[in-house]
Amino acid sequence: MVQAVDSKWQILQQAGYAYNFDRMVYFNKGTRKVFSVDFVQDHSEHDLQTSVNEASNGAEWRFYFNSPPPAAVQRELENVLR
Amino acid sequence: MTDSRTIEDRLREEYFDLLPDIRRVADHLEAEVKYLILPMRRKLDRYEQMVVTSRVKGCESAVDSLRRRQEGATFDTDQPTLYTLRALRDLAGVRVLTFPSSRLAEVDEEIRKRFESWKPDPVTGMGEGEPPLALKYSGYCEASNRVRGEIQIVQMLIGLFWEVEHSAIYKPSPLLKGVADHLEMRRCTSEVYKALRAFEDQFEALLGDQKLGSR
Repeated sequence: MVQAVDSKWQILQQAGYAYNFDRMVYFNKGTRKVFSVDFVQDHSEHDLQTSVNEASNGAEWRFYFNSPPPAAVQRELENVLR
Repeated sequence: MTDSRTIEDRLREEYFDLLPDIRRVADHLEAEVKYLILPMRRKLDRYEQMVVTSRVKGCESAVDSLRRRQEGATFDTDQPTLYTLRALRDLAGVRVLTFPSSRLAEVDEEIRKRFESWKPDPVTGMGEGEPPLALKYSGYCEASNRVRGEIQIVQMLIGLFWEVEHSAIYKPSPLLKGVADHLEMRRCTSEVYKALRAFEDQFEALLGDQKLGSR
């Protein structure tokens, strides 16, 4: 499990993700992707890598959450991560 | 008239409404747990310890804790009535610290007997197959039907590490709590647990040898 933690962090770090400790999300302003701590914890390294590699147009924020975040939560996070 | 307050303000109001119950639950559980383990404490060797502490979660800590339980640590402002502090299981908490860890099972058995309807929720270790870091139960007691209490039974060194971590970092700056969930921090914390466990295990092994040798 500790090994998985290490490699998940490597995946995110190499793809240029930063951590927002107040919202507990990993985010990348370039690709406009947000991963919740719960999503990262509950998915395998392979799933995480696939999600990180998914093409993104960088126009709208994309949220990788276990449950899709409601609109108000998306707005608030977009505001905070701007 | 619509309520124009923020979700946080509504929760602060709720907190002060619940506070007398929270205090009652903490006092009640502390007294009861101390009473339950009293016969065991009388038989402890001089180096052994069983320490019972209780705490009432503070207002801001409770509000923040509920926020961090939401995925993305953000309240849905379109659904303000969705949130209540009564969802928290640890508004009133009691912790039993034991040394050596071999005493943990005894305490757990006694507490489980008394609180058998409570929900177990052990704090899991980081490695597969590792024993839980703490045994934890939550539920209602006679002191209140609005506030749940939580009882934690934990190895002394790990429990003291949590207390140091809390008072040095999170109490002065509760917003830093999310730092603990960063993958790198989780790895570092796991190393600390491993070292503390190894220390206690070795200590116990040496004490065991000493006892055998003195027979």
